[in-house]
Amino acid sequence: MRGATLARWIVLALILAIVFVPMYWIVVTSFKTGRQILLSQSVYVPRPFTLDNYVYLFEESRFALWIRNSAITASASTLLSLLIGTAGAYSLTRLSFPGRRTFGGIVLVTYLVPPGLMFIPLYRTFIGLGYTNSLGTLILAYPTFLVPFVTWLLMGFFRSIPRELEEAALVDGATRVQAMVRVVLPLAAPGLLAAGLFCFTLSWNEFLYALIFIADDSLKTLPVGLSEFVVSDFAFWGQLMAAAALASLPVIVVYIYLHKYMVQGLTAGAVKG
Amino acid sequence: MNALTDRHRERLLGYALIAPVAIFLGGLVAYPFLSAIYLSLTEKTVGYPAHFVGLKNYGALLESGRFRIVAWNSAAFTVGSIVVKLVIGMAMALALHNVVRGNQFIRGILLLPWVIPTVVIALTWKWLMDLFRGLINVALIDVGAVKGGVHWLGDPTLAMVSVIMANVWRGFPFFGVSFLAAMQTVPQDLYDAAAVDGAGGWHKFWRITLPSIKGVVAVVTLLSTIVTLNDFNIVYIMTRGGPGAATHIFATYSYELGIMSQRWGLAMAASMASLPLVALLIVGVVRYLHREEE
Repeated sequence: MRGATLARWIVLALILAIVFVPMYWIVVTSFKTGRQILLSQSVYVPRPFTLDNYVYLFEESRFALWIRNSAITASASTLLSLLIGTAGAYSLTRLSFPGRRTFGGIVLVTYLVPPGLMFIPLYRTFIGLGYTNSLGTLILAYPTFLVPFVTWLLMGFFRSIPRELEEAALVDGATRVQAMVRVVLPLAAPGLLAAGLFCFTLSWNEFLYALIFIADDSLKTLPVGLSEFVVSDFAFWGQLMAAAALASLPVIVVYIYLHKYMVQGLTAGAVKG
Repeated sequence: MNALTDRHRERLLGYALIAPVAIFLGGLVAYPFLSAIYLSLTEKTVGYPAHFVGLKNYGALLESGRFRIVAWNSAAFTVGSIVVKLVIGMAMALALHNVVRGNQFIRGILLLPWVIPTVVIALTWKWLMDLFRGLINVALIDVGAVKGGVHWLGDPTLAMVSVIMANVWRGFPFFGVSFLAAMQTVPQDLYDAAAVDGAGGWHKFWRITLPSIKGVVAVVTLLSTIVTLNDFNIVYIMTRGGPGAATHIFATYSYELGIMSQRWGLAMAASMASLPLVALLIVGVVRYLHREEE
């Protein structure tokens, strides 16, 4: 028994180290001077440390612009997906109509189609529409994976709300839509918030569509900006890791709140790796 | 009469509320997808309209040595990543299972790689593996394990190992947390009964734990296979498919054909190349999830 406990802690310590080291490397690099990086000085702990890399991002790079583009894209596509997905999830869990199961199946299947398979077909479609190279393109593109996700996630939430509450409202003379808006949606509020935050995270992190669909430098989102972050300086890793740290910060903050839903969601099969 | 109109109203409302989903997914998933299948059967050169060529693009792909390398790499990348994620994820779940103190907190920390933008992860690993200044080589030299730096991203085999490592780092926490959540639903009685029969830890794992969580293991593995087989970000950022074509996989290859070379027919065919397998995997997931619902 003692041996088993010891083994357990060794495994945990190893896994924690594996997870910790790359994150530590981001943070320490971001506080190093160009010289320290270039000459591999104070590799493990930067002494002295500098905030220059962070200052550089805001004063000499387009970092603030990338953040703005990402924030606009992520917020708008999240709102759009929530609107469409909530209506769809309500319809699929609460109303009965012919073809309901088929719709549910289609939503699940589209949710599983990977972007790596869809990006060229979707790009051609946007070219056909004459609508590429705009934040609007991304705001329309992201819901292709967000809408199935929101619908699937909220179906679970809606199912957990007792029908009796809604039926009581109907007996009291409310219409179906009133019952949905006044009874079901408030009860599903935590689910809606979780779904919205998930969508925001997924859009904020999205890279492939943003890389392909946007050509203008001034419209690039944060992940694309990071991937093309090249400065003539040899030691650009300091600036890049500062940008990496700041890019991760919002999703980490969101995650601290979302954590418990994530675990629930992924056991329900709603969240994928 | 009244009941009938009620039912009609419910149907109408049902269709009205699902309509935006249907229009959206129809227009921006189904249509692009079907037109891609059509375009993969055509040839388009600049200045001329596209014309139908049947399976010619697929034939050209199958005959091209580069595509075969890509297919092989995709398989290696996927299988390598999934196997390692399964092993580390299972170890993580077993290590955390029944640990009461700090469980939530540790689990929270361990899931961080899954939240951080993939681009950040890929760039970080590229930097970790930098030949002269990356932490891995500096540390290996410091402890005396190697003399010069290891060519992580410059050597064909090591480059594949490197992109797999980055992918595993991002993905294993999801495996671990899913397995752990499943393990926590296994009734304690089963373990108690086994203990009475004198079963050891290893025996309990194979006879009780694994069979009880096999549904979750299957779904997680299938989901991850679908995504990994069509991964783009990690490979594109870390190696651009190189050195040579050593880490070139399906999505980076269709990027090369479509976006870089504008050979759309071939690009569509390459995009659709993994479709039969992906379709099979999707059917697998759907069947598992439906079974669990019932």
